[in-house]
Amino acid sequence: MVEQIADKVLAGGRVDAAEAVELYRHAPTNLLGRLADVIRGRKHPGRIVTYIIDRNVNYTNVCVARCNFCAFYRPVGSAEGYVLGFDEIFAKIDETISVGGNQLLLQGGHNPDLPIAWYEDLFRAVKARYPSFKLHALSPPEVLHIAKLNQLTVPVVIERLVAAGLDSIPGGGAEILVDRVRKLLNCFGKASSDDWLDVMRQAHRAGLRTTATMMYGTVETPEERIEHMMRLRDVQDETGGFTAFITWSYQPEHTERGGREATGIDYLRTLALARVVLDNVDNMQASWVTQGGKVGQLSLAFGANDMGSVMIEENVVRAAGASYCMDEVEIVVNIEDAGFTPKRRNMHYELLGDPVFREREVPRMLSLATAREDGDDSIPGDLKNYPARSREAKRLRLAQ
Amino acid sequence: MQRVSVGERLSPEEIAGLAEAPDILPLGMLADVLRRRLHDKAVTYLRVARCAFDQIMAEAVSPAAREVRLTGAPDTLPIAVSAVSRARGIAGDRAVSGFSWGDVERLARAGAGSVSEVLGELRTAGLDAVAELPMDRIDSLDEAVDLLTAAGFSRLRLTVDSAAAAERPALFLRAAVLQERGGAIQAINPLPMVLNAMRPTTGYSDVKMVAIARLAAPNVAMIQVDWLRYGPKLAQVALTFGADDLDNCSPSDDAPDGKRRAPLEEIRRNVDAAGFTPVERDGRFAVVG
Repeated sequence: MVEQIADKVLAGGRVDAAEAVELYRHAPTNLLGRLADVIRGRKHPGRIVTYIIDRNVNYTNVCVARCNFCAFYRPVGSAEGYVLGFDEIFAKIDETISVGGNQLLLQGGHNPDLPIAWYEDLFRAVKARYPSFKLHALSPPEVLHIAKLNQLTVPVVIERLVAAGLDSIPGGGAEILVDRVRKLLNCFGKASSDDWLDVMRQAHRAGLRTTATMMYGTVETPEERIEHMMRLRDVQDETGGFTAFITWSYQPEHTERGGREATGIDYLRTLALARVVLDNVDNMQASWVTQGGKVGQLSLAFGANDMGSVMIEENVVRAAGASYCMDEVEIVVNIEDAGFTPKRRNMHYELLGDPVFREREVPRMLSLATAREDGDDSIPGDLKNYPARSREAKRLRLAQ
Repeated sequence: MQRVSVGERLSPEEIAGLAEAPDILPLGMLADVLRRRLHDKAVTYLRVARCAFDQIMAEAVSPAAREVRLTGAPDTLPIAVSAVSRARGIAGDRAVSGFSWGDVERLARAGAGSVSEVLGELRTAGLDAVAELPMDRIDSLDEAVDLLTAAGFSRLRLTVDSAAAAERPALFLRAAVLQERGGAIQAINPLPMVLNAMRPTTGYSDVKMVAIARLAAPNVAMIQVDWLRYGPKLAQVALTFGADDLDNCSPSDDAPDGKRRAPLEEIRRNVDAAGFTPVERDGRFAVVG
């Protein structure tokens, strides 16, 4: 059975859900890798592996969603809750530009005290200061949160954010797009599977490109992982708006859910299977931030054609125990060691050029930055311009 | 594939060709065929209590350990012999290993005795194995193996100290030739014991070396990966590239995060998830229980 499916894949055929399950459960790991590698080679014949220099910025950790797999969020009113000020974000952009970056991946908690005007003003301010800098921002659950909070529809929210400077939408918050799983993870409330996919549809209709993600390794079955991939594949058939797929393993440290992280082989098999199933998505990213540099590099043999982002900063998986770091030098060394040619790219996967550190001096980066220095609990002055909704935030803003 | 599956040795040119090819999956598949022929689905693991020679050993040796491994470099043979005797006392019927070939040579020089005398005394004191026999650091591997076997050390475990990836295939081929002669080699640990934090080996290089070692030395029973040094993720993937033994696993039974996250469970879970069957072994390569 596995051999027949493998032949079908090699002949360019599309697998159905049952065939995908069969491959995932029974194909030897190296065979699954081989299938994924053949597809990668077809889609990317030049042996080029890309990466992006951008920065993962989390503008707030205050969140009302309370997903039980998340170690990053703080409830409203928590002494450890923060919102970044515009100036702090500008400083992060300056640092990003200094190491050759061209984009922020900007995501955050569902903070009830940030109205849509805050996002609009932030985006406009960023674009005014850095006209060519890109904002890859606000995953579908955040878009939904802003829609609900401001009593707007999703298309209107997207339209307003695009008008303010939004360039593309990251595929975060997808977790597993199966409602049984979402209810168990307590993330059904922030977005059902249909909700998540619908935001992406609307974004694609509005002309935005987006990525798609999957966080596996909690309570889902292999069949549910595959259902997730199938649902993405259907939307992609419809809109063609996803540029890339990124999967990573659930990081259990310090989360309410706890448990264990799925193994490295689970990762490589899941990635390879995604490459086989998602035959209409061009790019697969390696998640070195959850798997470490070594398995991150091995991803290139299991279907990945992109090493993701240099990141510069990371807060979310770090809170859950993963603390890997790769700067541009390290990413490039790993790509070349695997026999590929490294190229910088933008969010649309357009090639931007050779490594920056080969063109000019760039400081080495041995650890990823965090949203804020430890102990910095300052409240940014610009928050007082926006009405708060929660009692705690109202009190704080009155005191400002 | 056919030739590998019947255990035929590949030529040095064929090994060099495989080591140079950028594609690691065909190499992994080849090594996996041989690995399965030799071990089927079994993956052995060894829980080791690492213990400095000058440490209070009772505290360092967990009851769950199946081998006591002495670390550090004693200045003189009497100090080394005394450490082995104390370890022997704590270890009971468990294996005691320790030191490296470089230590043995140094102790011989320091005491103006011969290498065989040093090996003999350590063996008499209860040492079961010299823990590190780095192929890239031993001038005459043939002679070293002869001296070790003459002193009563059997089932040798060859290691790599820090040789670059390009130099290692030749070492594995040497080991295979040596094995033809005497059959004393039980295992090859193909990844460097000395890690360079600023220039770490890559995932590609690690799994490739594991596969090359497996294919270059089909007459050596085991290809090992050091669990603590290389970590669960790389060690697990290496199992699908020809490795069959996890050396240097934690002997701790502490489970501050619950039983399911205890070190032993972590090893077994990783082996299971790679599609193999975990089997505990002791320091003398015998299956436990």
